[in-house]
Amino acid sequence: MALLDKFEAVAGIAAGLTGAGHNPTQVVIDEILSATEGLVEGRRTVLAGTNNYLGLTFDKACIAAGIKALETQGSGTTGSRMANGSFASHAALERELADFYGMPYGMVFSTGYAANLGALAALLSPGDSVLLDGDAHASLYDGCRMSGADVFRFKHNDADSLEKRMLRLGDRAQNCLIVAEGLYSVLGDCAPLRDFVSIRDRFGARLLVDEAHSLGVYGTHGRGVSEAQGVLDQIDFIVGTFSKSLGAMGGFCVSPHAELQLFRYVARAYIFTASSSPSIVATTREALHQLRSRPELREQLWRNARRLYEGVQALGFVTGPEMSPVVAVRIGSKEDALASWNRLLEKGIYVNLMVPPASPDSSSYLRCSVSAAHTPGQIETIIEAFKELRLAT
Amino acid sequence: MEIQPRDFHRDWVSEALQVGAILNSNNAELERQIRDLLVHYLEPAWAAEPQNRIAITGATNLTSDLTLDSFQVMEFLMEIEDALDVAIDMKSLSDVHTVADLAAVVARQLGS
Repeated sequence: MALLDKFEAVAGIAAGLTGAGHNPTQVVIDEILSATEGLVEGRRTVLAGTNNYLGLTFDKACIAAGIKALETQGSGTTGSRMANGSFASHAALERELADFYGMPYGMVFSTGYAANLGALAALLSPGDSVLLDGDAHASLYDGCRMSGADVFRFKHNDADSLEKRMLRLGDRAQNCLIVAEGLYSVLGDCAPLRDFVSIRDRFGARLLVDEAHSLGVYGTHGRGVSEAQGVLDQIDFIVGTFSKSLGAMGGFCVSPHAELQLFRYVARAYIFTASSSPSIVATTREALHQLRSRPELREQLWRNARRLYEGVQALGFVTGPEMSPVVAVRIGSKEDALASWNRLLEKGIYVNLMVPPASPDSSSYLRCSVSAAHTPGQIETIIEAFKELRLAT
Repeated sequence: MEIQPRDFHRDWVSEALQVGAILNSNNAELERQIRDLLVHYLEPAWAAEPQNRIAITGATNLTSDLTLDSFQVMEFLMEIEDALDVAIDMKSLSDVHTVADLAAVVARQLGS
């Protein structure tokens, strides 16, 4: 096969996505009107698929912090922290994150993807074993694969499946890393972290939890599912992102293990990329401050999540297994889901389309992510659009 | 009795053939088990779309013949792991295209 021939198949996939009207992967929001509304093809559109859980992207204090950083520190760092040095604000953000989680060590990366790639490839080596939840995010798969370790999947959120695989590893289990997410981004279900901690302890392994979608959402203080389940102080490594609840961009890893500081010397995704721009670091720090000081954002988020989850369930749709700010609505076939997604967009509702193999169970879903910034009226508009969808199918 | 080089060679070949036959027979049994597991795994999808039902052989390609996507292949791998009590590293899948390839990977893991 010639080098470029493989793209014929990709072109076929792209054409299939466009078949029902709009291509879900190519939506352009011409104007961003607020954290929850945009203009798409001249239509005011409720943004219900942005992961902007706390709605902080237009927060005045965050924007002011970003502008100040632009004016005082410039537009970019123009290089890697290992080569060009760190800005004081990078180090400050690391201290603030570590403090937030009550852990001694913190490290930031330029994206959430880089955090998972960097942390996993630093932590694991060829000959090590990693037990990865079957529904884990692609960045976790890629990090494991990049490390050269032996990767074994266990059934999604299934502690028995994990335990069986640990047993099969024999002596290797004590040199093994268990990798799971707090909140899973497609169906909005949470990992049984207490069970995973108990298995980790029994075999003497380590546990890494990705709280990308649960930071700011779960736990009394918004520290994630680990906090909500009372095991935060027992997690070896927590990774996450700034691009969801914190409305910025970047990723992080915090840990009670001093070795995290040495990741800087071996994590290629940290070493060979430019560090985050000062304005991004500044808005992230301010957003973290907002997250810590305004628990009412989290309360509003959950009120909105409950209303949407119960609203679409009342229409007879099958949703994800538990109520969360990720509301996944099962549609069935890929073709039906694509057509339904188009209908919603034309009604002025933007959600995410999840089709196999990106969706976890060979079904297709329309995935909504709720924001604290959604007004009650916007939530009702989303439910009404699903109602029309129900009647039309 | 002194073994002549020619005889020794013949014995070695004969022994190798016998070992190979045992291994092949184990692989054949393993392949049959995997085919059965595949049928079980695919049954719900085949029930919904009977036109996709095909006879599975060692040469059946998992993606082009059975139209399994990458996620389904990994899901099925977990079924094999649990049914045969074996740990199969995901890297092992990189060269797997057919049912026979999969049986060979499982055989290697069981033998290791």
